[in-house]
Amino acid sequence: MTTISNTLAGGRARTKSKVQAAPLQTEVAVLTDAMVVVSIVCGWLLLQLLVLGGLSYDRAQSIGYDQFRGELAAATAPVGGAIEVGAPVAIMSSNRLGDSQVVFEGTAPTQMLAGPGHRRDTVLPGQPGTAVLFGRASTYGAPFASLDSFLPGDKITTVTGQGKATFKVTDVRRAGDPQPQPLGQGEGRLTLVGAEGTGTLAGLSPSTVQYVDAELVSKSFEPGASRVSAVSVAEQPMGRDVGVLPLLSLALAGLAVLVAIAAVSRPRLGTARTWVILVAPVMALSWMATDLGMALLPNLL
Amino acid sequence: MTRIVRFLFAGLLTLALVNVVPLSADASEDSSVTRTKKVSRTFEIDGERVTVSENTVKVTVDHTKNLRGRERVQINWSGARPSGGRASSPFGERAMAQEYPVVILQCRGVDDESLPAAERLSQQTCWTSTSQQRFRSSSERLAIWRRDPYAAAAERTQKSGIDPFPTSGCDDAPSFSARAIGFIAASGKVFNSCSSDSMAPEAAVDAALPPAEQAAFTGTDGTGSTSFEVRTATENGSLGCSDQVACSIVVIPIEGVSCSEGDSVCQQSGRFAPGSSNFASEGVDAAVSPVYWWTESNWRNRISIPVSFGTAPNVCDVLDSRAPTAFYGSELISQAALQWAPAYCLNKKRFKFQHNRMSDEAAFTLMEKGEAPAALVSGRREQDLAQPVAFAPTAITSFAVTYVIDRPENAGEYEGLRLTPRLLAKLLTQSYTGSSYGAQHPGMGDNPRSINQDPEFRALNPGLDTIDREAAASLLSLSESSDVITSLTSYIANDAEASAFIAGKADKWGMVVNPSYAKLKLPVAEWPLLDTFVPKYELECQQQIKTPYFTQLAAPVSSLRTIAEAVLDGWPNVQTKCDRASSSDPYRFGRTDRQGVGARFLIGIASLGDAERLGLKTAGLRTSSNTWVVPTEKSMAAAISTSKPSASVPGLFEMTAKGLAKSPAAYPGTMIISTAARTSGVEPATAAKVAQFIKISTSEGQRRGSSNGTLPDGFLPIVNSGATKPLYAAAQKSAVLIAAQKGVPAQSALPGSGDTSTPSMQVITPADPDSQIQAGAKPGVTMVATQPTAANTSRIGRLTLPMLLVLCFTTAAAAPLLRRFARLRAAH
Repeated sequence: MTTISNTLAGGRARTKSKVQAAPLQTEVAVLTDAMVVVSIVCGWLLLQLLVLGGLSYDRAQSIGYDQFRGELAAATAPVGGAIEVGAPVAIMSSNRLGDSQVVFEGTAPTQMLAGPGHRRDTVLPGQPGTAVLFGRASTYGAPFASLDSFLPGDKITTVTGQGKATFKVTDVRRAGDPQPQPLGQGEGRLTLVGAEGTGTLAGLSPSTVQYVDAELVSKSFEPGASRVSAVSVAEQPMGRDVGVLPLLSLALAGLAVLVAIAAVSRPRLGTARTWVILVAPVMALSWMATDLGMALLPNLL
Repeated sequence: MTRIVRFLFAGLLTLALVNVVPLSADASEDSSVTRTKKVSRTFEIDGERVTVSENTVKVTVDHTKNLRGRERVQINWSGARPSGGRASSPFGERAMAQEYPVVILQCRGVDDESLPAAERLSQQTCWTSTSQQRFRSSSERLAIWRRDPYAAAAERTQKSGIDPFPTSGCDDAPSFSARAIGFIAASGKVFNSCSSDSMAPEAAVDAALPPAEQAAFTGTDGTGSTSFEVRTATENGSLGCSDQVACSIVVIPIEGVSCSEGDSVCQQSGRFAPGSSNFASEGVDAAVSPVYWWTESNWRNRISIPVSFGTAPNVCDVLDSRAPTAFYGSELISQAALQWAPAYCLNKKRFKFQHNRMSDEAAFTLMEKGEAPAALVSGRREQDLAQPVAFAPTAITSFAVTYVIDRPENAGEYEGLRLTPRLLAKLLTQSYTGSSYGAQHPGMGDNPRSINQDPEFRALNPGLDTIDREAAASLLSLSESSDVITSLTSYIANDAEASAFIAGKADKWGMVVNPSYAKLKLPVAEWPLLDTFVPKYELECQQQIKTPYFTQLAAPVSSLRTIAEAVLDGWPNVQTKCDRASSSDPYRFGRTDRQGVGARFLIGIASLGDAERLGLKTAGLRTSSNTWVVPTEKSMAAAISTSKPSASVPGLFEMTAKGLAKSPAAYPGTMIISTAARTSGVEPATAAKVAQFIKISTSEGQRRGSSNGTLPDGFLPIVNSGATKPLYAAAQKSAVLIAAQKGVPAQSALPGSGDTSTPSMQVITPADPDSQIQAGAKPGVTMVATQPTAANTSRIGRLTLPMLLVLCFTTAAAAPLLRRFARLRAAH
């Protein structure tokens, strides 16, 4: 947690302690301080996106699993119609994506922090029609990081409120490949939508949308009530949502207030006490600001 | 007092008018024309002109008014000289090797001396499709036209017809005698027509349309008959016949070229006996062949019958700039709509009506969603609970099983085809194997190759050959969803024999259903192509593509008009001809060639309106054990009598296959086409247009005729009497409901189906036979060409994390370095 103290006061404190050795020009001091702050902010973002986000993903999955298990047992799991955004709708398992994942309703960037999202204008997996699931490729647990490892013939199973459905992968599809064949009466399909990158940092630069199509091989379920007819841009592949800007600015303003409080309280209460008082709110607000900031990044990142 | 009288008078007048309209409707206009003429051939003997043969020919054309593109008129004649050496095809140049035939041509202009020369017809305004019919070049001895006593001196010179006669470009030798009958196009341009290169563009080899001009055969009793296809400016711009440009059908009974003294070549009188056949196209005596139809002595024997053409199909686009109000729906009504539309757009008090063909289901949905003012549909539809809809019966017609089948031994076309539901089921389920490829199909190898080998078919239709043909193994049908297919498959499903056959029971001759279609549930709105069998092909071309065989055999099309034209041209849509344009092109399966006249065998589903317009023969369908019914007004009226009004939906009449089966005289393909429109939520102006359409189409639009606004052949008029009385009343009621727009949601409408639509990212292109053959097609699966996946990339996605990483590390490393550097500089 040294990083936090650095952000707030440490930098200046350390500078002060070395001023006696050799006085530093003000411009250089401001520039280097700014660079340190940028470094810390970037570091925090990376830490949360790649590491802490994973932890929060795991926790959300665990909670979602418990909730969905309860709903399945109580037969209250959603089977169609307008489902509340963020509610668990299915459990998906395959041999290529590690353990099973809980799928949540909605594919806007902030709705996909907890796990793969189910596009709201598509049928639920196992019903006649095409069900579309989105998943992140690099951040927040990266559930769809290894989408391209699917091979034709791989099995994907889903469990929804209507029971277990089995799909057989037909192919991984990229830009330029022919779209899958039109579905016949009562046929179903599952399409996983993820992203992949190229080059040396391929794992960290998912830029191109890729799809995995899987045909329903088990018997299709009854079609559910009609779904929403269209979704916003934010819920489409690589969609971003600028609607969070007001909330995000509130969170950032909160952080600014905390910095001001630190500046006031440190000369009076001392470094140690200030540190103890402010570490928790600062962490909470940065966490919240980062989660909100994710809405400005593509939903498949 | 005078006022009361005036009111009474006005009331009486109105009543009289109301009564007059249906009365005149019943008096269908008769536009048949009969002409009689004495035709003769003369020889000069001892300086005197002696008539060597003379016949009084009577020609009747069954209808001549308001003809439309590709319409066929029936021509009958009697008293002509019996023909000999019958050719297999009466069309175009293939008919030239005959003796004493009757040449029938379509010519621009009218035979009337009082008209200016430009409006009169001549040999030069008569259409032929090859230069062989317009140009002769031969040695002096064989050039009999030069010794025709009726010809003017200028026509008897060594080279005549083109002035000056070209020295090159004609299929001609300088020493030969030659005569060319140039063709004068409607534009005034003259085509020399002395070689295939100098013909009018519509006469190109492989032209879009086959030849229409005929040299028809007269029987030994002097009578003959044929169907003659007329072309409008749309099909043949050079000929240019239209409602503005008068044209004629010219019938020339070939009596032989008249000759001057002592000319043995010219005086030939034929080497074939009357009634004989010339299947092998052997040489004939030129003087009595149709080649010399243009010689003055033959031409003077012509009988010309003026014909008039209907308003061009695009008249509404040309003359009316208002935005059209489009009605979507059934193609069955298209021939009626063709005649109705000008009656709307040319009358400024009416709206501009336009009929757009669309599958019934899609049209109805479009109307329900409010995207179309009205739908023209037949049959019951699933309805949205919230949208009250009223139906108004607008036209009664039927689908027809049309066919063209030639009898063996050059005996002409077969008439009176009889089919059973099981025979239709056999064709639709692709249970005939077509060829040795199809016979490899497991489970049906012993089935007949084509329907004409099936003992069931042969028992009903005796006297046909047993040559196996791919075209006779399938029924040319629709690829789209349509109420026609629903009606057809309901008829099949209602028959015990046919159902048992599809369920897997062999017929009594041992024929079994194609296993791919076994236990198929009928009725369906769209016929599925289920057979994906790929045979062991023999040719390299076929082996490379490897495509399901039976799908290529059926090759359904998207429009009934296409089917009707395929039957008219004798050109099956079987897509088994495997070739490539050049050795560098990929192989592909394409449509087979046109069938030769004399060996045609093609059956297809068409609308009765098209069948009547194009003069196609319609097959009789079995209704009860021993009754076969063809579509006529009487059999359609019998079918209408079985219809019942729906209790819940205003104006909807339903005919069930079961109800139809109880009436043996009823044609099972009869269909009621209704105008369906919403009775709430439609703009008043649009609703008024729909109501106007219903009112006009059920009154003025039900008069039989061929002019604008009337009902063409192939439709049963809906009138306020007889079997159609309840339909007429329902239509008037629905018109009021639609105009009022005060409908409330129906209580007992059918539940809407669940929305199982695929996401919008999937774009599906319609299947056409060509696109099914693609390199990536998996064998055994019918593949449909789909659009490629669109690229979707994100720069933010690509750059965010690497940029953060770079920023984090560079700033973290650079800050201490910068400080140390600054401190070092400060220390100095």
